[in-house]
Amino acid sequence: MTTTALTPPSIAQAPSRVLAVLRLHFASRYILIGAPWAIMAIIFVVNLAVWAIIFASVSSPTDRAEVTAGLQWSGASLYLFVWMSIVAVQSIMVSFPFALGYGVTRRDYYLGTSLTYVLLSVGYATVLTLLAGIEQATDGWGLGGQMFNAVYFAGDTLVERFFVFLALLLFFYFSGALGATVYLRWKQPGLLAAFAALGVLIVGLCALVTISQSWQRVFEFATSVGTGGLVALLLIPTAIAALTGYGALRRATPKN
Amino acid sequence: MTSVIEVAHLTKRFGDLAAIDDVSFRVEENAITGLLGRNGAGKTTLMQLLTGQQFATSGTIDVFGANPVENADVLQNVCFIKESQKYPDEFRPKHVFRSAPWFFPHWDAEFAEQLVEDFRVPANRPIKKLSRGQVSSVGVIVGLASRAPLTFFDEPYLGLDAVARQIFYDRLLQDYAEHPRTILLSTHLIDEVANLLEHVLVIDDGRVVIDEEADVLRGSATTIAGTRAAVAAFSEGREVLHAETIGGLSSVTLEALSPSDRADAAAAGLELAPVSLQQLIIRKTTLTAPATESEMEHSA
Repeated sequence: MTTTALTPPSIAQAPSRVLAVLRLHFASRYILIGAPWAIMAIIFVVNLAVWAIIFASVSSPTDRAEVTAGLQWSGASLYLFVWMSIVAVQSIMVSFPFALGYGVTRRDYYLGTSLTYVLLSVGYATVLTLLAGIEQATDGWGLGGQMFNAVYFAGDTLVERFFVFLALLLFFYFSGALGATVYLRWKQPGLLAAFAALGVLIVGLCALVTISQSWQRVFEFATSVGTGGLVALLLIPTAIAALTGYGALRRATPKN
Repeated sequence: MTSVIEVAHLTKRFGDLAAIDDVSFRVEENAITGLLGRNGAGKTTLMQLLTGQQFATSGTIDVFGANPVENADVLQNVCFIKESQKYPDEFRPKHVFRSAPWFFPHWDAEFAEQLVEDFRVPANRPIKKLSRGQVSSVGVIVGLASRAPLTFFDEPYLGLDAVARQIFYDRLLQDYAEHPRTILLSTHLIDEVANLLEHVLVIDDGRVVIDEEADVLRGSATTIAGTRAAVAAFSEGREVLHAETIGGLSSVTLEALSPSDRADAAAAGLELAPVSLQQLIIRKTTLTAPATESEMEHSA
């Protein structure tokens, strides 16, 4: 066979394909960076207006404190996390077949995409933490408002808060990525089966805890490990989603 | 000559359907090979198998001497431009041309720029807003400017007008002459590309039915035309690929004729004409032997 001895002509070793995939995701920054922050800015401005109205009409300090306490249940920045899941689904659906056409292996594609999500998570978590810090330092932008210190992202220190943001973002990215790769590999029936299995698993776990009357212990456990512990625990499903996603993508084929 | 692609007993099944059915062939280095066949014949599936996008059911594929599946060493020398290529939603052509060099070490930015001008691609308009032909042009430009040692064009010119197609053929041939590489081109427009092709692979119903040098193929059949009686007399005992009769005249397409055959035919008052690649392929892929005979009876 002549082919075995054949080396491709004048091969310039391509720079890392993993980094190329990373750059590909950032080639147009609108969906990944521009749009989420634009929406965030609009929500923020609307919230500011609402806070200003409340601030103007509520004058006693005790009432104001009450309002501030209520605002910690604001869901204003929650959309960002759901958005990230959708971004992950969308970007994989299109960029996977596209990258394969450019001669990228599934492995390099997945590593590059994962690296993209990790970088995005770190970036977003950093900015969100900074905003939370400013919010705290300025007493809620001078109006007692709360958007980035919502109760879901509780944490005593900014560092803790950073890790809460980071873990949540990673979780949403990789669960979105898992959904997309399952679809690419097994199409719609596979995705439906996966959701059904997940539903059964969650209901089953709830039933188990309920029947064994251990909700009390679950709450105690949650309290005892604290925010840091729960965040660390969230990394487990995230890691499972990331690995399963890779498993699904390894034999996925682009649609004709 | 060395072969860049070697395929042996390759089969790809989707459920019961054998999209590729026990196929074996080679593709020579630094040649333009046409992968021709009807819709659904298996051209795209074959190209996806060769680029590691699909997984073979059985058989072996060697590209640059190794299995292409998940093989970065092989795949970084491969560019696959497919029909109606989808691009990330918010992409503009400039994003495509900016990102391509990260993947193709031989990318020629100057050449790409020239092509953008030739094809009149609006580099700064969202791809979603481009016409079909313009989107196809983007793919064609990537395929040409990437200069990948092995380039696949799968029906690359959906919606391209005749002028743009001619530009594609011209640039392809010109650039290929300066930077020889292996090109596999699948297309319906056989006669348009006939002069580009050095080798022809015709696939029908998942099988390779023709695997031949284009020149050999062109000389492999001749059409003779003349009076019914003269044509019938001459074609008797020869393999007839196609026959048609109008009034007292008939013409038949025959397998290759030897020089003495041609002299005989001329002496019998018959006109000899070459058969176009497209006609030849149509005849070889649509006619089975019994059909040929019945058609002969019908026209004789």
